[in-house]
Amino acid sequence: MASLDLDWEEVREQLRAWREDNTRHSEEVIDMWEYCLKHYKHKLGDERWMVEEQVVVAGLDSYRLDIAEHSLVALNEQFPGSLRVRKLKGMRLEALERFDEAMDVYDSIIRQDETNSTARKRKVAVLRGQGRIADAIKELTEYLKIFMSDGEAWQELCDLYLKEGDYSKAAFCMEELILTNPHNHLYYTRYAEIKYTQGGLDNMEIARSYFCQAAKLNPGNVRALYGLFLSCTQVSSSTKCSAQKKKETQQLATWALKEIADRYSKCRTNAMDGSKILETFGSLSITEKA
Amino acid sequence: MRQSCSLLCLNTTMAVVWARLAFLAGIISLFHAGYSAAQHRAYMRITEQEYTSLPTDIGVQGLMSLLLTMYGILHIAGDFKEIRANVQLQNKSWETVGNRPTFYTFAHRGRALSPNYIPPKSKSLLDNIENISS
Repeated sequence: MASLDLDWEEVREQLRAWREDNTRHSEEVIDMWEYCLKHYKHKLGDERWMVEEQVVVAGLDSYRLDIAEHSLVALNEQFPGSLRVRKLKGMRLEALERFDEAMDVYDSIIRQDETNSTARKRKVAVLRGQGRIADAIKELTEYLKIFMSDGEAWQELCDLYLKEGDYSKAAFCMEELILTNPHNHLYYTRYAEIKYTQGGLDNMEIARSYFCQAAKLNPGNVRALYGLFLSCTQVSSSTKCSAQKKKETQQLATWALKEIADRYSKCRTNAMDGSKILETFGSLSITEKA
Repeated sequence: MRQSCSLLCLNTTMAVVWARLAFLAGIISLFHAGYSAAQHRAYMRITEQEYTSLPTDIGVQGLMSLLLTMYGILHIAGDFKEIRANVQLQNKSWETVGNRPTFYTFAHRGRALSPNYIPPKSKSLLDNIENISS
């Protein structure tokens, strides 16, 4: 069995950082486990079981079922009858596309413990995996009636509505998220993008103000600056806009343009010339009918 | 529980060792100052002198040991978190913030990159031609 010459403590720190950061690096986790940390698993102490759980999920994600099953067996021996391990067994059935059996497993967990939120969320994921988006939406709205403050569930609902093309309901979900985290510039950006997609002068003005707020919270958010420029040009080229508002909006658009050019010039390479960008901006706009 | 175990753990840097020694020394000195203040009070009572205020050396010892303990604790406890809520999010992208681990689905195209993946059998052209002509 191949074994890389990595410092196992650094690997452990990296896995812990990924666990806490909530990121999805499934293939790297599997590689690190397979080639390094697996040989030191007895030195991990209490952390070993969290790492094993992380490895199970990563293995199911990158379809390395042999590794995932190995860790799942170890977890089952250590924690027999645990609901958390049962949930992982359900996830394994999902990865094997045995969706009905997975549903049964989650139903049994809910019967045993009414307050278990993760099993209910996995049921939504099963429906999503099968492609039944409408059923997934229904199940998730039922879940949110009980567990109203779950930010992740609101994000997932927003994503499901976007898949269906239901922009007004997706905007409502993003509004709920902004209420929970009013300092998060990414939520403002996403909300503004949904409003921009809906179209129409009112939505465009709302999008413009939310892009402004996102750029104010984080001046490094280039996406918000681009969005600001686009929504400003849309508002100023609309027929229902008064002359004074048009002037203000155009000033805002030129400011956004300048900021973007500044940012590009800061990370300039020889191949990229900052001055050309300002010329190409003129052609950057989305028209109503193609 | 894990914090106390880590205090006793052996593989640590020199700065952390000094911080722990400072903390211990500060705590012991603080107790010593308190005990000597109590002893001083008892002595005053025995010799029937008026008790006006603590002797300066005990006061100074108490203050210095407090500062030493605070210094030790700050180094053991780790860095402060940024108080402005939006600064932490400056460098995060939607990839990390929008990630929903409890809703992971596994029926995605990443499966095909795994060495264990068996592509589903597809019908060959001949089968289709036979179906059409019959």
